Amino acid sequence: MSAAEQRVGAAGSGSVVEQLRERIRQLQAEPRRYLSVLRTGLAPVDALLPAGGFPLGQVVELCGEAASGRTSLALSAVAAAHREERLCAWVDGPRELYAPSAAGQGVDLSRLLIVRPRAPEQAVWAAVQLARSGAFACVVLDLTRGMGSAGRTARVGIAEARKLADAAERGGGLLLLLTSTEAPADGVTRLRTESGDGDGWSVEVVRSRRGGAGARAVVPWRTLYPELGLEDGGRVLDVGPVEGDATPDFLREGAWVARNGRGIQGQRPGRDGAMPSLKAGLAAVAH
Amino acid sequence: MRRAYLHFTRFPVQRRVIESPELAGRPFALVEESRGQRRVVAASTSALKAGLRPGMTVTAATALLPELRHFPYRPEEEARALLALGEALLSLGPGFQLAAPDGLWLDAGAAHLSGGEPGLCARALELCAGLGYRAHAVVASEAFTARALARYGARRVEVVAPGASARALAPLPLAALEGGLGAGFSALGLTTLGEVAALPAGAVVARGGAEGARAHALCRGEDDTPFVAAVLEEVMEERLTLEWPAESFEPLGFALKTLVDRLGARLAGRRRAAVRITFTLRLDPTGRQEVSLALARPTAAAKLLLDLARHRLESLRLENPVAEVAARVDADSEDRGLQLSLGDSPEGDAALEVVLSRLVTTLGEEALFAAGLSPVHRPEGAQGVGAFQPPASREMLLGELGRERAAPPPAGGVTRERPSRLLAEPACLDAEVAETGRLLAARVAGRRHRVTAVTGPERLGGEWWSDAPYQRDYYRVHFEGLGPAWVFRDARDGRFYLQGLFD
Repeated sequence: MSAAEQRVGAAGSGSVVEQLRERIRQLQAEPRRYLSVLRTGLAPVDALLPAGGFPLGQVVELCGEAASGRTSLALSAVAAAHREERLCAWVDGPRELYAPSAAGQGVDLSRLLIVRPRAPEQAVWAAVQLARSGAFACVVLDLTRGMGSAGRTARVGIAEARKLADAAERGGGLLLLLTSTEAPADGVTRLRTESGDGDGWSVEVVRSRRGGAGARAVVPWRTLYPELGLEDGGRVLDVGPVEGDATPDFLREGAWVARNGRGIQGQRPGRDGAMPSLKAGLAAVAH
Repeated sequence: MRRAYLHFTRFPVQRRVIESPELAGRPFALVEESRGQRRVVAASTSALKAGLRPGMTVTAATALLPELRHFPYRPEEEARALLALGEALLSLGPGFQLAAPDGLWLDAGAAHLSGGEPGLCARALELCAGLGYRAHAVVASEAFTARALARYGARRVEVVAPGASARALAPLPLAALEGGLGAGFSALGLTTLGEVAALPAGAVVARGGAEGARAHALCRGEDDTPFVAAVLEEVMEERLTLEWPAESFEPLGFALKTLVDRLGARLAGRRRAAVRITFTLRLDPTGRQEVSLALARPTAAAKLLLDLARHRLESLRLENPVAEVAARVDADSEDRGLQLSLGDSPEGDAALEVVLSRLVTTLGEEALFAAGLSPVHRPEGAQGVGAFQPPASREMLLGELGRERAAPPPAGGVTRERPSRLLAEPACLDAEVAETGRLLAARVAGRRHRVTAVTGPERLGGEWWSDAPYQRDYYRVHFEGLGPAWVFRDARDGRFYLQGLFD
């Protein structure tokens, strides 16, 4: 029993008001719950990080190939912040973030601000502003080029990296950088993600001031996408070919339109003789 | 009916000082042009002390006080300011009636909610003081009693009990009888309302007729003037004409403060919060500029609105000086207030609004949004775009209750299979396909990637009723050296396209 509870007990069955006062005193004395770490919810990844999750007030870089789990990892951090009812922002440079997938991973879309700057160089500025404001628990800056776009990926210079780090520290939120292997940035902590095969992907701590560099974990794809189904070569259903015309059958023009109202043998009703009788055929079927 | 009268001594002067704080303590006058001459309508205290009187010509006033500054008196703007004040007071009473140019009646029917009639007066004066106005407040049963005591009485707050009006009015001077009603009594040598009330009614009617009888009744505390509540405007709009066209931001900043203060007070009185405000700048001689301000968290806080308006308008480049500025609330919502935790401060919301405003200014409004889900089968159409208006935190006063967080909605099986990145346009794949139709390898961004695993197909088709129907077989494919991707075979041309990445 805590000291406060003992005090309440000593007061015996004191008035409800007294008990409530005591409770308020306890609440006020209790240190406020500050969020210091965003746990991704993926136990192997959280175990790799020295703080047990992504540390707030810092820049963390997720570097990897185009489909190596970086985005999903960032989305899981955003979902963790949303569980605490905090706001998050996503500076979407390549304009590729897909909301249905994010919602599936537990992201509250109403609390996620998406920023899509027209010019690529505005992305870093926007992220600095968002992180510095302190209104967002997690800001994700996607610096990748995007699959469809041409040209080289712009690297984040030292000055910009410093601005980002300063903004994260001042705002007290997490700043996640998503970068590609060809143009890494200068984050305080860098995690490298790699797509292994259909079974799993790996994450490795490449750089960390608080130790733990070199630690690596292999995580199955189903932790991020439970129904991806690419284990052991995948499963291909045996389906027939599909026609390019998607018009459903019931809307297709019937054969009678092609026959222009004629009978199945091409005869004109009332002119080319009587229609063949079905009576004989039906009688045969009946017997 | 019980009603409170609020009298704002020299209201136009008070308003001028609130709008231009540098005028405080300085001699200035408000002048009006009548019959070809500019005459003083109201003057500041220091000007009055120097001998200025309403009705003087500007020439005479300037001769008396060379450093006198004078400004035009615009009755319609005074009325608008008074109306805004009345709306701000709606939080204390169900209705108000304007008594231009310097007072208003407030329905005191809800006084019990403010701690009785003295409490209502105190709260009304406090609210007015918060907006910068000094006032006198009197609650009485008759319109005349309340108004006369507020204007000529000695006390700032007074409550006259029903039936006690005649005694309360007795010491007031005859000037309290407005509209020339007191002139006849003054000629008789009477000086106070009490002396008028003491006259025999028959004699007053015989000598003064209907007007005399009416004045006599007022002095006896009998007044049946009905209370006609002001009708609220549907659209909340405030407009201010600058003294001279502003070429810098500073004079515009003062005007903005006035407008936003009034809008904030009106919103607060109606218990509404602004969602979207449009500022219209009329330029001199021609031109017009509109700037709209959308708020992520609706608010009626004038300070925050002013900060945002300043930020948005400061960076504006205009061709001509600004002659008039107007602010209109385009969209508003119910003001639910803000429930904070112990020790929390509302600065978080202010920081959010300021950074959003800054980003909108630089990147454009369309660059910021919150995504939504659309009930559309076609993958690229399944996400919608909406305004970023996050719900307020449900943190409660008692921490334990606040910790019972609502569980996130269960994710549907279908949405979990969607890739986290969707290409803006599906990219045609240079694919190597086996005779069976199975994808073997593909070139992505100039590099060949072998396929190590395939799952599918998921057949999606539809929109046959539109001009662009689609029929696709979707596969989840693992490319060596790239990772899992979302690929479809288009039934129209039989080719493979890359649409998303399971990043």
